[in-house]
Amino acid sequence: MESAEAEPSDSRPEEDGAAPCSGLPPPEHPAATMEDCLAKKMEITVSEAEKRTGRNAMNMQETYTAYLIETRAVESQSEGQCAPVDSLWRRYSEFELLRNYLSVTYPHIVVPPLPEKRADFVWHKLSADNMDPDFVERRRIGLENFLLRVASHPVLCQDKIFYSFLTQEGGWKEMVNETGFQLKADSRLKALNATFRVKNPDKRFTELKHYSDELQSVISHLLRVRARVADRLYGVYKVHGNYGRVFSEWSAIEKEMGDGLQSAGHHMDVYAASIDDILEEEEHYADQLKEYLFYAEALRAVCRKHELMQYDLEMAAQDLTSKKQQCEELATGTVRTFSLKGMTSKLFGQETPEQREAKLKVLEEQIQEGEEQLKSKNLEGRDFVKSAWADIERFKEQKNHDLKEALISYAVMQISMCKKGIQVWTNAKECFSKM
Amino acid sequence: MSGGAAGAPKPLPSSGPKSLREMPHPLATSSSEEMGPALTPSPDLLLPRSIADKDLSLPNGTPVDTSSPASSSSLLNRLQLDDDLDAETRDLFVTVDDPKKHVCTMETYITYRVTTKTTRAEFDLPEYCVRRRYQDFDWLRNKLEESQPTHLIPPLPEKFVVKGVVDRFSEEFVETRRKALDKFLKRITDHPVLSFNEHFNVFLTAKDLNAYKKQGMALLSKMGESVKYVTGGYKLRSRPLEFAAIGEYLDTFSLKLGTIDRIAQRIIKEQLEYLVELREYGPVYSTWGALEVELSEPLEGVSACIGNCCTALEELSEDMTEDFLPVLREYILYSESMKNVLKKRDQVQAEYEAKLEAVALKKEERPKVPTDVEKCQDRVECFNADLKADMERWQNNKRQDFRQLLMGMADKNIQYYEKCLTAWESIIPLLQDKPETK
Repeated sequence: MESAEAEPSDSRPEEDGAAPCSGLPPPEHPAATMEDCLAKKMEITVSEAEKRTGRNAMNMQETYTAYLIETRAVESQSEGQCAPVDSLWRRYSEFELLRNYLSVTYPHIVVPPLPEKRADFVWHKLSADNMDPDFVERRRIGLENFLLRVASHPVLCQDKIFYSFLTQEGGWKEMVNETGFQLKADSRLKALNATFRVKNPDKRFTELKHYSDELQSVISHLLRVRARVADRLYGVYKVHGNYGRVFSEWSAIEKEMGDGLQSAGHHMDVYAASIDDILEEEEHYADQLKEYLFYAEALRAVCRKHELMQYDLEMAAQDLTSKKQQCEELATGTVRTFSLKGMTSKLFGQETPEQREAKLKVLEEQIQEGEEQLKSKNLEGRDFVKSAWADIERFKEQKNHDLKEALISYAVMQISMCKKGIQVWTNAKECFSKM
Repeated sequence: MSGGAAGAPKPLPSSGPKSLREMPHPLATSSSEEMGPALTPSPDLLLPRSIADKDLSLPNGTPVDTSSPASSSSLLNRLQLDDDLDAETRDLFVTVDDPKKHVCTMETYITYRVTTKTTRAEFDLPEYCVRRRYQDFDWLRNKLEESQPTHLIPPLPEKFVVKGVVDRFSEEFVETRRKALDKFLKRITDHPVLSFNEHFNVFLTAKDLNAYKKQGMALLSKMGESVKYVTGGYKLRSRPLEFAAIGEYLDTFSLKLGTIDRIAQRIIKEQLEYLVELREYGPVYSTWGALEVELSEPLEGVSACIGNCCTALEELSEDMTEDFLPVLREYILYSESMKNVLKKRDQVQAEYEAKLEAVALKKEERPKVPTDVEKCQDRVECFNADLKADMERWQNNKRQDFRQLLMGMADKNIQYYEKCLTAWESIIPLLQDKPETK
């Protein structure tokens, strides 16, 4: 089976400006090296979050949070000068628009995910309210992380729309919409159809899709159980606070034992209070896991794109084959396969030679076109596979590195928690020994 | 050696006195040669024991000599002995160990080995080894309460266990009970009066305790009535300040202990629920590890680590359940029985005051205080003295016991965190390991 290419797009790759909306990476812009990445040239932070009220598209009042993006050029700092900070405000929906644009424009790239839209995997102490300050704070960090990820990506960092997102306050939305990227987005139905019907996808992508499904499932499970674990641990620590109170009351009726009991009770209070900070730190670990949970979706998107392209190719090849067959039948007059046309022509009389000739010509033209299309689709498909797989390898390394770091930091958190526990109980033991 | 039950019990371990070399000494090296005559119980000390033992007020009204000199000197002696009580001067050692299950046609029960080593003259032999079951301990406690009503008798672990909820024959339950029974006997052993009690002696030494019990019952039926030291029906106007203070203290004390018991139970419950979640949490890392290549080992490592923490937590909860809670409950029971002794004391004082008042009202008689009232007065003074001495001893022991208990609780928690710390620290190098360096 010849591999097929994506359908030809109308826009041609431009020399500069907006990236093309095809499956190909912009050929004029080779992937940037790490040193050239935007992240190295520019300091990017999402430094503040602010509650705003405004009117939405349906002219209804709404409350939303706006985030302050600050950027500063890095180069001039080496001379001892501090470059001026540029800043602008963006809301979450604009981040979403940016990401959608990137996903459609670079379908072969594993596009970094945004932090969750709604608070998920909460345990009782965490709020599920989007306006909750803790949630907003964690989202702020997540958005900053998103921008840094894009800025350090060799391909994505060069995107002009991304650059404008960081630097151009007004008119950015219009600029994005003008790229017409929404038209190029594959419909979900089309993608689903392709997934079911594709016959010969690249095995690696099939495996990768399988992997991303499993990854998503296992991280979801992990996050859910972790939230329950956090909840229970909270309970254990807090109940110890009751010791503080009762030891205090008991010490009141004791003579020699009183002081020891009283001070031990104080340590129990310290113990009970310590869990708040511990669990807050753990939320950062959960956020790191969440990022990769959402990354799994991005991985799957790339696989889906491949399946779609492959399916297109297969369909085009199939179409070409059938046209060639028709051609042959018309030319030789033999009917190799049963067709309704064949039957009707038998029933209602054959066509005239002129009619046949005309049909043949059309078919031959179509076959010509079809072969060209098939060639280019093939090429596109192979390029897609190549560049996608390159980014997937890059992603795998990033993932392994990041998750290892996350596990290490988690272990460090646990060690710290154990040490605090030992400290508190050692102090309490000393108080008891003085009873 | 009596097994106590009808039918053929399983062969019990040998029970005769063993040679010194064979029997492990409960405390430091045997110091029988170090014990000088000064430390053997003085003759005076024998008196209070016999006084306390005898029924001071028989239903038929037979008076018994409870003259004060004996009481006060006995008090002095008791205090003296208290100060001297440490390992080298002890002359009586009792241990409870070696629980064994007996399956008989009628019932199944556990017996414990009670080992005694002593140089006291009240004992015919220097060593004894008998087997006793809970019933026997219960009998002993009742006898002590009857015969030493002015003293605080240590508590026994709870008698009844809800069948089906707790396995009476599980190792943990039997061990917890054994420890409590051992504590019970040791407390009696440490008591300068109770340790000389005749029933205690029999308990430690008799081959056939049941025969002795029956004897006691027979005597009882001859007497016709319970010989409990209870004078009925008198109402006390006011408790003397010091005993009121003790009563209030005990009330608050048992209240606080009850609260601590509930908190400890709640903590154990929360810990077990935490454990349930942890048990699901660890394996998810393993599942994930199976998906990955480079991350496989680190994830497995984390999974194993969490597994180790689960084990450590399980041990902590078990320890708290087996070692911490029973001692708390013991002290709650102790407080209850002590409050009862206080009430008995009130009764004795009330009887005295009532009789005194009755005499005062009878103006026609010569103002001589009848011996009856005198005896009541002695009884009150004796009771007060005994109780005060016991309270002091109890306060001291309580302080030691709780110091040990709470330090033990802190220790267990420290050990738990140390186990977890070791587990997490050991996987850091595994997590940091680069595949190329392997």
